[in-house]
Order: sequence, then C-alpha cells, then structure tokens
Amino acid sequence: MKRPGLFNEELLYECYQCARCTGSCPAAFAVDGFNPRNILLTYLRLGIEAVITDEKLWCCTTCHVCEDRCPQLIDVADLLCSLMNEAAMQGHIPEKVRASAEMILRTGRALLVSRRVDSIREKLGLKPLPEVPMEEVEGILDQTGMAVLIG
Amino acid sequence: MAKKGKADRQDKVARRATAENGPRIGVYVCHCGLNIDGSLDCEEVAKYASSLEGVVLAKDSMYTCSDAGQEQIKSDIREHNLNRVVVASCTPRLHEPTFRAACVEAGLNAYLFEMANIREHCSWVHLHDRQGATEKAKDLVKMSVARARLLQPQVETEVPITPRALVVGGGVAGIQAALDLADAGYKVYLVEKEASIGGRMAQIDKTFPTMDCSICILAPKMSEVGRHPNIELMTLSEVESVDGYIGNFHVRVKKKPRYVTDDCTYCGDCIKDCPQHMPNEFDCGLSTRRAIYSPFAQAVPATYLIDMDSCMNKHGIVACDRCYQACQHKCIDFSQQEEILDLDVGTIIVCTGSDVYDPTPLTELGYRRFPNVITSLEFERLINAGGPTGGNLIRPSDKTVPKSVGFLQCIGSRSKRSNPYCSNICCMNTIKDALLIREHWPDTKIYVFYMDIRAFGKGFEDLLMRARREGVVFIRGIPGEILQDDNSYSLKLIGENTLLSKLYEYEVDMVILSVGIEPRKDSAVVKRLLSLPSMADGFFMEAHPKLRPVDTPTGGIFLAGCAEGPKDIKDSVTQASAAASRANILMAKGKVTVEAITARIDPERCTGCGLCARVCPYGAILVDEETKVATVVEAACTGCGACCPECNFGAITMRHFEDHQILAQIDALAESDAGGKILAFCCNWCSYAGADFSGVSRIQYPAEVRIVRTMCSGRVDPKFVEYAFAKGIAAVLVSGCHIGDCHYINANSQTEKRVQRLWRKMARLGLNKERLRLAWISAAEGMRFSQEISALKEIVEKITPEEIEKGIEAFAPKRLPKGEHPDEATRPV
Repeated sequence: MKRPGLFNEELLYECYQCARCTGSCPAAFAVDGFNPRNILLTYLRLGIEAVITDEKLWCCTTCHVCEDRCPQLIDVADLLCSLMNEAAMQGHIPEKVRASAEMILRTGRALLVSRRVDSIREKLGLKPLPEVPMEEVEGILDQTGMAVLIG
Repeated sequence: MAKKGKADRQDKVARRATAENGPRIGVYVCHCGLNIDGSLDCEEVAKYASSLEGVVLAKDSMYTCSDAGQEQIKSDIREHNLNRVVVASCTPRLHEPTFRAACVEAGLNAYLFEMANIREHCSWVHLHDRQGATEKAKDLVKMSVARARLLQPQVETEVPITPRALVVGGGVAGIQAALDLADAGYKVYLVEKEASIGGRMAQIDKTFPTMDCSICILAPKMSEVGRHPNIELMTLSEVESVDGYIGNFHVRVKKKPRYVTDDCTYCGDCIKDCPQHMPNEFDCGLSTRRAIYSPFAQAVPATYLIDMDSCMNKHGIVACDRCYQACQHKCIDFSQQEEILDLDVGTIIVCTGSDVYDPTPLTELGYRRFPNVITSLEFERLINAGGPTGGNLIRPSDKTVPKSVGFLQCIGSRSKRSNPYCSNICCMNTIKDALLIREHWPDTKIYVFYMDIRAFGKGFEDLLMRARREGVVFIRGIPGEILQDDNSYSLKLIGENTLLSKLYEYEVDMVILSVGIEPRKDSAVVKRLLSLPSMADGFFMEAHPKLRPVDTPTGGIFLAGCAEGPKDIKDSVTQASAAASRANILMAKGKVTVEAITARIDPERCTGCGLCARVCPYGAILVDEETKVATVVEAACTGCGACCPECNFGAITMRHFEDHQILAQIDALAESDAGGKILAFCCNWCSYAGADFSGVSRIQYPAEVRIVRTMCSGRVDPKFVEYAFAKGIAAVLVSGCHIGDCHYINANSQTEKRVQRLWRKMARLGLNKERLRLAWISAAEGMRFSQEISALKEIVEKITPEEIEKGIEAFAPKRLPKGEHPDEATRPV
C-alpha cells in the first residue's frame, strides 16, 4: 500500500512551486480550496498532521494529470494517495467517504442500486446489474483490513 | 636528431646527479586549513611518512601551497639535499604545476616531484570516517613515496606554435574572437556553417538591458570581419577533421559551393525571377525565400547563394536558368564544386553557439497546434523591422494586432522533462520583449507567468522595475494548460497564482513561450572532432570552472559563447575576448613545452612487429620495415600510453608512468590488509577528474579505495591488474572517459578490449569476474564515481579469503609476462 514513509520524500524537495499541478488539476477547479501544490508544501513545511486532518485532501480523483505535467517528475498523485491512506489509518475519514465505504462493506457497491437504476438500464437495453458475489468481496475486504479501518 | 642527442645527454647528467645519493625524499602533508585536517590526522600521517624507506624528512604544514610552504620546500631541498619531493594535499590537477615550479627553482627536476591527493580523494569524501580517512591518507602517501623512489628526471621538449588561429562559428562570439586576434596581427580562419556570419544575435530585435538595436550594433562588426585583411572568412563551411596538437593543428575544412561568384553586387535582380519558394529559416519559417537568396539584408559576405536542395537544377541538369538570365554581371555558376581546404593553425577557438528549445513535446501548451502560441525567437522575428511583418506584431492566425499577450517563462528550462538547467537569458529577454510591446502598442495587456525572475546582471533589476512600473503584470505560477477558442483563436490560460493561492483563468490573444537554450544538435560532431569533454547537459566543459573558464582540457583549444553554456551577448563577447587573449598568449610566445611523458622505444628490444603502431590513436609510431624497429614521433606523441601494454617484449617505456613505478604503487598499497582494499585506475582527464568532482561536491563513498592515476585508461596494462590480484587485492576498478569521448581520440577502446580479455581469463581460471570492474566516468560524473566505488565495496564484502587466495595463486609471479619480476619493481635507482 502507498504510505508516506515508503514514498521517495527526497524528490519532494525538488518542487519549486511552479503550480503546474494545481493549474492542471480538474478537481482544483471543481472544489474551491483543493490545491495539490499547497498540500505538498504544507506537508513539507508543517508536517503530515496539518495535511491529513484537512478533508479537502480527499478531493483528488487520482487522474494523474499533475504527474504528467510536473517538470520535476514528482509523483504528486502518488503522494496524495499515500496521504489519504495515512489519513484513513489515523481515522481521519470524511463522512461521505466513510458512508460509501460502509456501503461497500454492506452491499459490495459504493452506491445504492435502486429500482430506478434497473428501469433506466432496461430502457437503454442493458442487462440488469449482476448480483454482487458478496463472499468474494468480503474476503478481499477482510484481507485489506477495510472493515477495521471503517470501524 | 642533434636536438635529441642533446636531450639525451642532459638526461644522463640529471640521472647521475640523483643516483649518487640514492633517494632522499621530503614529504609534506598539507592541512589545507581544516579542509584536510578536519577529517583526518595530518600529524599522524606525517609521522608515518617519516618511517618510510627513503624518506629523509616529513612535515605537516597549514598551507603547503602558500609562499611560506613553498619556501620551506625549497630551503629543505637545498639544506637536506633532497632529490625527491612528495606533497600530500589537493589534486595534482590543481597544484602540481605550483609545486613543480618550486622544485625547479631549488634546482630539482620537475619530474622528481610527486603528489598524493588526500583532499579530493580522501578528506572530502570520508568526512565522517576519521580513522578510515587517516589510514587511507597514509596509504596514499606510502604509494606516492614508493613511486617517488623510482621517478626519473625528464627533459621537456619545446614545440613551435603556428601563428595562425581557427575560429569555429561566426556568431557574435566568433566574430569578436576573430577580430581580436586579427587586430593583434594573426592570420585568422573563420569557419561558419551558415551562408552568413551573425548567428543568433542577427536574428533578434533588441538587446537587454540597454534596448540597443541588435543588428545595428552587430552589422559594423560583421562587415569589419568581411573586409579585415587578416581574416579569411569561410561560410557554408564545416570542419571535417582536426589532427595534431597544441600549436600545430592540421584542420581540414569542407566548403560547400555558393553557386554565385564573388562578383555579385547584391543587386537582387536574380531573386525576383526565381520560381521556387521555400520557408525562410532565418525567419523561423514565418516567411518564404527563393531558391536563390540571401539570409538577411546585412549578410556578410554580401552575395546571394543558391540552395541546391530547393533549386530545380540538380545533378548538372539545368532545368531553369531564370536567375542566370536576370543577372547582368553573369555571377551565377552552376558548375561550382565542393572544396576541401587544408589549414595549419596553432590555436582553435570553438564558438559553435546554441540551439533554442523546441516546445512541441510539451503538448499541454499547444505549440504547433494553436497558431497563436509562438516561441520567443519567433517573436523576435515578428517584432523585428527586418522581419517578415516589417516589425508589426501580428497574430499568425488572423494577422491582427493582439490586444493581450501572455509570456510563459522557463519553457524547456529547469525541468527534468526538458533541460534541467536555467537558460540564463529568458527572464531578461521576456522583460525586454514586454517593454518593446509596451513601447509600440501601449494599450496591450501584458502578463508574464513565471516561477522566479532572475535579474542578476548589471542593469537587469532596473529593467525589471521599469517593466513593473509600466504595468506589465507578473503572475507567479506557470499555467497548467492552454486552451484555444476555435472561433476566435484566442487562448485561455488556466493555472494558479501561487502568491494568492487562487486559481486564475486569463484570456489572451497571443502566447509567447520563453524557450530556453540548448546545445547545438551537431555539437556531438564538434565534440568528437576536437575530442572535447562535455557536461551532462551537453555544453562543452572548461579546463577549470573558476580559474580557466575559456580553456578546454586540450591545450591550444579555447571556448567562447553559448557552446560553453547559456549566456547573453555581453558574456559571450567577454568570453570571446578572453579566449582570443589566451590564444594570443600562446602564439605571441611562439613555442610551448610539451610534458615529458611521451613513449620511448628501446631499439634493442623492439622486433618491429607493429602492434603498438596499430593502436596509436595519433599515428605517432612509425615502423621501419627494413631495420624492423619502431620509433616514436615525439612531437605527435601525446603520452596516452595505449601502445605500452601492446608490446610483448617490454620495449616501450612510458616516461613518468613507467611499469615499475605503477607496480611499486600497487606493492605499497598491498602491503597491509590487501584483501579489504580496492585499487582504482583512473584516467587523468575524465575519471580522475570525476573522482575530484565527487570530492569537490563532498559526495561520500567507502574509504577502501586507492586511486592510481594514469594519463589514459589505455595505459592500464592487464599485467597491472593481474599483479594486483597476485598481491591479494580484493577488487580492481579500471575507469576512463566514455567511449567516444576519449581525450586521446579512441585509446580507451583498447582498454575495453583488454578488460574483456581479462574477464575471459578470470572466468577460465575460475575467478570471480566481479572483482574487476570497468566503468566510464566523465569529469562531471562525481556521483557516478561514488556509486561505482560503493558497488565495488559491496562486492568486496562478499569475497571470501579463499577467493583471494585463489587469485594470488592464479596470478602468481611466475605467470607475469616478459620478465616483470616483482623484484624489478622495487629495484633501487
């Protein structure tokens, strides 16, 4: 699993704050205040606590455009991913994320599948969604320790 | 021959003088302030040195290179009748000449001086291992003393210097260098690849920080070159080959035909009738030219030329003669042929300039996709009165004047995706460009998107402040992306203002990418022709970054302008004058002494087999078919030593790097704890300098390594390596310049062959091949050197005593070739 300790932190010091990452970030334009450059800088200057307690961290969609354009080849998305993992380990999980995680634990899907979804699919000529193989899903979730994480 | 006889006589006299008393060695261990003493115990090293055989006195001093330090050496030589001196201090690449001069002043031959490098190769790279560093320093001193015992006095020969210079490249640096030398009275050949001299400076509109018109200040210099009686200008010409050495270079130049004779009056009648239209390279393709053309109005030489790639007449078939018909003076000559010119010159100045970065790979910026995204060089052509638009800044998409302009900084610079270095000129160039737009179209909105503005030169900050006062908006944060409106072709820049931590969207009519400078695409050719070393980024390397900034490591060859690194016009001109002055010093002196490190062949032992002549990169060995004896042409021999290991009869002596001198160094290092040590052979020009560089950069590596310097890795005889293993040394590193970058053309290709032969032999004998390592390390690769040593250290840790024993048996003295008995290595002088 991606964790901050396992991440090549030396590379982060090569960031010269050109802001190409934030300028390229679709999430930054959708969510006011989400700013990958700022997260990197805060992490370096104020430490991990300051970053993982901020719920905005979870806005990253891991699209990796920031990494594509970073002139210093810093793995920005990997950093955000590992910070999210760390946040989860320490119990800083935003309510909405927790709710959808719980949904996966319960139903094997992140979103609730209502009858309406089935009727839309039928109209579009799609087969109804298959049953979730809950045993398999539970096995995976057990191994990843997600149930413990969600508490 | 008479001269050689005299040298031999002098040799004999000197030898007798030193042989009378046996070696009397003085050892000086330098503290270098805290540079050495800070991480090893100099006093202990000096005490240890005094116990070594042949050492008469050993001292440690604060700064041995100081006047007082040198005086001490001189008085000791006289007082104690010293006949060898060893200084343990910094790299011999820095102070060997200093101490040699001190020895000579006290009456000691310069070649009886030896240096142990305990700073770059010891104290600076083992900062946290005082014990290891002290032990290593002792070893290095012991090795130097062992070598010093066997040193021989040598007599240097003088070679004359041809008082003519070659300047490669006719940009502003080349022009300045050529004019300086020509004014000093030397004949100068100026070789330019393009049709006119002028280079990049001719392309740009104004210069910063004074806003002078670029071509207005350059054109008078260009025409001066054209009419100077001492300058022979060769355009459309390229250097084909360079042979020879300092003071005596033979250069072959290929001159392409212009197809227009010198009678051309530059009237322009011919171009009007030419039917062929081509993109104009001088205008970055923003305009067209004909097949018969002149690159720009102020071109020197002021004659037209025909570009045969675009002309309809090819291979002698005349399909169109409209230009010929139009020319009243009948200056057009389709029958002109390529010429090869042979030049003899004493010095060479390399001013090959630079290319600009092509931002096409940075797809998010849309260069070449969006017509209104242009580079700074294209902008220079657009705003230049002599350019395609007559100086009107217009958008390429619809030929309208832009109402708003955005500059993007650091495009192609300071980035691992393009070039990692700062290109030096782009910040000021952008500020100048912004002010130019302000001057002509005051209502234009100008945004500069930057990371850092580097305004470090004289008058630069003033210009930056003026731009701010005049309303140029500076925004910190490079846009992540440029989007184009497909109807209006205007551009949207999206990004983050990092000072406000706010996202922005700016709409502008035109974007100018402030592109960086990179080495010329054909710089590898120049590098190979002149065997110049270059930095990792491709720019040519100076002999010393601070103290010899325009010299190359090759004597008689100098650097100026952007070929050495990105720089502005002022710096290029300064450097060109400096290079011309350095060349002038050589040529005014008229002669230069060549280091007495050349090969000598013993006619008694030589059988005339010719193996040595085959590997000599300079063809300096001639084999007389009749007498069956090979001789060395001393003036052509550079002392690489590649020939020496080839000889099966021990007939070749590499002066000052003799076999028994090197074997004695190996003996000295193997005396104690050989099984834990690494022997590294480093070539003087690349890997030794690379090891120096890791010292200068304080890159730490294991202290087990001991370096033996040879001029070239080609000097490393397989028997040295075998001898080391026979002495129980754990691992051997053979290192040299990268293949293709060898200071001695291709001598290191012999190294590769020999090491491969050794590997095969080791495999046959059942030895661990990993104990012998081959590495190519350039002078700029300090990190690489330390990595190689660390890798070897890991291997050494795994080697068992049995393996070492096996190596000792396998290469025991009986297996040593051609009577190199170890006893011989330690024979008294």
